[in-house]
Amino acid sequence: MADTTICSEIAGTVWKVFVEVGDAVEADVPLLLLESMKMEIPVVSSDPGVVVEIFVAVGDSVAQGSPVLSIRC
Amino acid sequence: MAVNDVLNELTQRRAKALGMGGAEKLERRRAEGVLNARERIEKLLDPGSFFESGLLATSYRPEMRDRTPADGKIAGFGKIEGRPVALMSNDFTVLGASSSIVNGKKIRHMREIANRNGMPFILLGESSGARMPDRMGAQGRAILGQDPTEYQRCRHSPWVSALLGACYGSSTWYACMSDFVVMRKGAVMAVASGRVTSMAINQPIESEELGGWKLQAEITGQADHVVDSDEAALAVIRRYLGYLPSNRSEAPPVHPVPDGAGENARRILDILPPDSNKVYDVRKIIEAISDPDSVFEIKARFGKSIATALTRLDGRTVGVIANNPMFKGGAIDVDACAKATSFLVFCDSFNIPIVFLVDQPGFMIGIEGERRGAPGRIINWMNALSLVTVPKISVIMRKSYGQAYLNMGGGRNSDEVVCWPTADLGFMAPGVGVNAMYGVKKEDDPKRFQELFEELTRDTAAWGLAALYETQTVIDPRETRDCLISLLAVHRARHGSEVGQHLLSNWPTSY
Repeated sequence: MADTTICSEIAGTVWKVFVEVGDAVEADVPLLLLESMKMEIPVVSSDPGVVVEIFVAVGDSVAQGSPVLSIRC
Repeated sequence: MAVNDVLNELTQRRAKALGMGGAEKLERRRAEGVLNARERIEKLLDPGSFFESGLLATSYRPEMRDRTPADGKIAGFGKIEGRPVALMSNDFTVLGASSSIVNGKKIRHMREIANRNGMPFILLGESSGARMPDRMGAQGRAILGQDPTEYQRCRHSPWVSALLGACYGSSTWYACMSDFVVMRKGAVMAVASGRVTSMAINQPIESEELGGWKLQAEITGQADHVVDSDEAALAVIRRYLGYLPSNRSEAPPVHPVPDGAGENARRILDILPPDSNKVYDVRKIIEAISDPDSVFEIKARFGKSIATALTRLDGRTVGVIANNPMFKGGAIDVDACAKATSFLVFCDSFNIPIVFLVDQPGFMIGIEGERRGAPGRIINWMNALSLVTVPKISVIMRKSYGQAYLNMGGGRNSDEVVCWPTADLGFMAPGVGVNAMYGVKKEDDPKRFQELFEELTRDTAAWGLAALYETQTVIDPRETRDCLISLLAVHRARHGSEVGQHLLSNWPTSY
């Protein structure tokens, strides 16, 4: 069991957050949505796991590569 | 000497060689749940098809002959689904399957026969690197580098590598030359081991960090596929080869078309979001247009804004290069460029037609991309694309902006351009375009912004392209599978034998 920090692949604004700490999540399923380039761009985990921490809230600006949430796989 | 005596000796020598590195080491592997080199061969090949070459080869050093059964690298021929292959299986229980004069000769022989006779060459990797003291001093130099073609990637048949343990030296080098690399979790591929590297740079390093599966599958892309066990790796090699011809002079094999093929293609509109600002996973589109259960994704965890997959349409192998809006909105980054280019090289090498599924907002621009040489990667891709001689069909599903329109097969860069009515052929995202071209921001002058926005989005639909015959066909998305089957039949026919010119076959892919 290791914690993996998931970072934003793209600069954008947090538009929706679908998960809460403690939620079990599947691989490649949207955890939150960023708005960037006029697109709704999902943040996903490559592996299934449990959400440990969420670092952002709706409305936050995120830079490319900045941590968004962490998952225990 | 009586015949019986030499026959007994043959029996004894064979038994000793088959004993590999000894019962104790073999038992340790078994306890760890890892197959040994001979068990791997057995699981990989059709039952009973293995014919060994060099069972009685050993170290060239007389004092080491007793300790080097098969000289640590098992070679031979066999069959997969009835088709011949040549293979090497590294026996880590024999001096860590280290590279030596004699086992180097075995690799060379297998590689040459595979090339000359047109059969896939498979390397089951697990090796510690150069054998010492054989490679030491001037004498070591005299045996090193005597084959200048050793690392030449001129292959007439597919090369496949498996990384199944600690992989340094030959296992690593051959993986980097191979068309396909499958890696077992827990295996490590690196230039030198964690232990050696730690000593050299004087800081502790975990092998997993140095060359574990996450690094190779997600950061470097040098592993094409990741599995949990040896058994799964060997099954994947069998599956992979099922898409390929035995060599580049043949067409890929035709498989039976499963029942229900084509039914999923009618569900495409359920996958494609009605709003153009919503994303979807393009791999679901690939699944929908393909024969059931035929999609085999390559480098699934690397450069994810492009998906590359081998698949079958109507029983025939196709290579798909698809933008995936699910990742980075489909913006094509440096890794995705490298992934697309190496897939073009692979498809061109083995007569596999290419289908582009296009929905991309352009190349990912920014400092990181420039630092990593994005322009060079973009033009490498174009150069490769222009040299491809297998059929190329481009399907513009939604966006296709900027230079990447050409990289994804726009214009005459593919044999046919097909559009969905949802195609959007702007030169860049129009909101950004108004600002970039006219210096007008929405917040400063909303009315003027809107006028210019409309100007930039005028005539970017499929209809204009169709009128100019820049797209040859506009289709309902649900017709995609049938359309591709028809067009691929037309363009395969130009070669008669379905065999291309392989102008890319000796391009590097691990660059």
